[in-house]
Amino acid sequence: MKERQNPKARMDCLTRQFGDELLVYDQERNVGHCLNPTAAAAWKLCDGKTDPSELATILARQFSAPVDEPVVLLALDELSKAKLLVETERPVRRTSRREAIRAIGIVGAIALPIVTSLVAPTPARAASCLANGKPCLSGVQCCSGKCGTGGHCNA
Amino acid sequence: MQKLDRLGWAEGIGVQSFGVYAGVRVSAAGMLPQILPFLPPGWKNSRRATVQRLYSLVVPRANQTAGLRRMHILYADSERIARDTDLNQVLAALETDLHRYVAEASPDMTFLHAGVVGWQGRAILLPGRSLSGKTTLVRELLRLGATYYSDEFAVVDNFGKVHPFMRPLGIREDSTYVQTKYTPEALGASLGGKPLPLGAVVICNYKTGARGKLRPLSHGQGALELMGNSIAVRTQPQPTLRRIQKLVKGAVFVKGTRGEASEAASSILNLLCTGNSGENV
Repeated sequence: MKERQNPKARMDCLTRQFGDELLVYDQERNVGHCLNPTAAAAWKLCDGKTDPSELATILARQFSAPVDEPVVLLALDELSKAKLLVETERPVRRTSRREAIRAIGIVGAIALPIVTSLVAPTPARAASCLANGKPCLSGVQCCSGKCGTGGHCNA
Repeated sequence: MQKLDRLGWAEGIGVQSFGVYAGVRVSAAGMLPQILPFLPPGWKNSRRATVQRLYSLVVPRANQTAGLRRMHILYADSERIARDTDLNQVLAALETDLHRYVAEASPDMTFLHAGVVGWQGRAILLPGRSLSGKTTLVRELLRLGATYYSDEFAVVDNFGKVHPFMRPLGIREDSTYVQTKYTPEALGASLGGKPLPLGAVVICNYKTGARGKLRPLSHGQGALELMGNSIAVRTQPQPTLRRIQKLVKGAVFVKGTRGEASEAASSILNLLCTGNSGENV
């Protein structure tokens, strides 16, 4: 059986710390991610050398609370879905949220890892504009940048 | 662009706004006074020989052949961005494009799409997409005594302070989606001047008949929401994130749905009333 590759965080993203949370901006995909403290701590430890069970041990030390491997696997799953890990031929082992909750217990000492993502808007979409189908006079008014011949914004 | 340059231009103006240089030229003399109200708030004259974006407004000639539609045509650099018989519609397009360009290209400031008012020495930001009810809420907050900063952009400097972007409030008439402009003075509002630290960010959408339900957001989640309303995050991610990080310190974030603006506005002001000893703005 082939050995799985250890998770490695992408190094080409911009990061900013907000308390224990981490804001990560993926310039390649123009997506921003907010990593909660558990996900942020796990992501920072993904150096490609540390395996999930070692990650669990280090995280337990950091949070001064028990951290089981399913929690780490859930964090890696979230980070992998957000494309914040270097893609490997042998992907990260997956776990379900339910399995992770079971591992933590009903009253968990640490929060479940969560990654919230948001696509960065284009300037036109970020500023005031009219949605498709709304009456318009010029493309400048439309979020799509196109004002159709019928005088309505279209895609 | 060369073709446009050859048209012959009667007059023009160089404009500097938030570190961005733009120019506007017109094909008929005496037009500039009509254009000035559509320039970005706080613009200054610039004598720079080169500009980052050049607007060219072609107006119909007085002796144009009868029967032809008298079109006003606006170009941004070489791209035609508006064409209409009504000059005001074309000038509205100039305003939209120029303001957006300044917001995108400013090297000094980060522009967030948000309504902004000042309250007790702090700024309240109301980020949101078009038609989310930002301006209605701003108007209601002004009615309750808040100070007007903007109904379109929160302008954030390197220290995380919020500057005014004070243009008339664009209030939409539901049936047409056309905005009618009201000066803040006409609405009885006082005008903000000095840059303010952030007090609260309220991310909410209007829902008819809804009871206001706002839940708190963490600073990280709030920062992500602000990033989602940032005009230049794609082109200037590094300074955008740096300024957002400075901006959010000590601020309260809430998100949810709101009902009528009058109820929402008083709840929003209450957010800042507790534990805030800031001065009045």
